[in-house]
Amino acid sequence: MISRFAYFKPHNINEAVQYLEKEEKSFVLAGGTDLMILLRRNIINAEHIVDIKGLPETSEFSFVDGAGLTIGASVVVNRIVDSEVVKAKYPALNQAAASLASFQLRNRATVVGNICNASPGADLPPALLVYDAVVNIAGPQGTRQVPLHEFFTGVKRTVLQRGEIVVSVHLPDPGEGDKSIYLRQARLRGHDLAAVGVASRVRPDGKVAIGISAVAPTPKRLFALEDMINERGLSQETVELAGQAIHEHIRPITDVRSSAQYRLLTSSVLLKRGLLALIGKEA
Amino acid sequence: MDNEKDCSMYTEHIDSGKRKVTLSMTVNGRPVVRDVDPNMTLLHFLRDNLKLFGTKEACGEGECGACTIILNGKAVTSCIVLAVEAEGAQITTVEGLSKNGKLSILQEEFVSQDALQCGFCTPGFLMSTRALLDHNPNPTDEEIVEVLSGNLCRCTGYIPILQAVKRTAERERKELGR
Repeated sequence: MISRFAYFKPHNINEAVQYLEKEEKSFVLAGGTDLMILLRRNIINAEHIVDIKGLPETSEFSFVDGAGLTIGASVVVNRIVDSEVVKAKYPALNQAAASLASFQLRNRATVVGNICNASPGADLPPALLVYDAVVNIAGPQGTRQVPLHEFFTGVKRTVLQRGEIVVSVHLPDPGEGDKSIYLRQARLRGHDLAAVGVASRVRPDGKVAIGISAVAPTPKRLFALEDMINERGLSQETVELAGQAIHEHIRPITDVRSSAQYRLLTSSVLLKRGLLALIGKEA
Repeated sequence: MDNEKDCSMYTEHIDSGKRKVTLSMTVNGRPVVRDVDPNMTLLHFLRDNLKLFGTKEACGEGECGACTIILNGKAVTSCIVLAVEAEGAQITTVEGLSKNGKLSILQEEFVSQDALQCGFCTPGFLMSTRALLDHNPNPTDEEIVEVLSGNLCRCTGYIPILQAVKRTAERERKELGR
């Protein structure tokens, strides 16, 4: 049985923020696919649950040419899987979304929840990172925007302060001719957490972006590795070099899903496979 | 002014928070109004309060799909949804499939294909399938497998289940003009 708590469903962001600031043991509920497990296992002791699905801003799911895509905090992962605009403009995000958990969970799990849970092995952050996603936060001091690569501070830790909630995540319009891919390796084909997940993107000008999860305390953008490729220019040779150099940029651990050694090798393979696919030179 | 108004509302919520919340929803076409504890899951609400024992609990963490129901048109695992989240919702459980004591085509085909042995996972499979066919009356094998991948069966194996779903889709298109 889950311990007893008060349930509050605010109708506007100010109500939500003030309640969360006032009540110490309060937790935000959106899809609940992570929170309910923590409650059930008594990992967290919640006295207050704040259900943000009634906040109109969290339902936003819109794409504006030139401006980009905004995904509100109540938007579930299957919306991303089914979205034609995401398939066309942000293929790596579509693929990452389709790979996440099971169909039923994707009907509840939210995109923003996958960020806020801050699991090192989360599937969506690598794809969001390569699109320079920005997290829109509301809090007692007003609103602020944080680039996703600065949002994670450790295992299950983020920059969110008491009273703050993520209202939405925004991805700039990648424009025409942008390509991306998300590849993951897991123990089995169905419903399993990724041992490694790699998002690769090639911009219209040929510059690459790389996002990776499950190989460090947080999902990461590999900026230094991107610079190495971009300075030399993207080619089969630089992809090969990047595949050799990637181990200098990640710090995988051994756990139930994989050994550190396997993660190092798999990261290299998935990076090379992804970039080669994007430049039309299948490995 | 606004602050004052807001604070009074919080007090009201906090005071009443750990007490029961009045909940209304539609379950299998029937309106339901009950007082529930905020920490009750939708699964336990259906089983313990409404005595709808068709929906099963196994893992209790959204992994196995035994507790799958249809919530506002979507297949969800009811063990990780709070009952209070379903305020105003339209819910279908396995009890809502048969009409006037007659099994639905979907149930008939699970029987005809021997798509169950112990039957514990079956309500979940039926509800995932129902939600799929309501949106997509003619799914491909890949689409069926994807949608059912969150439902685990430990005795029958998945081939008879896949066969039952395909036959259901075929019969529903023919007999119900879907």
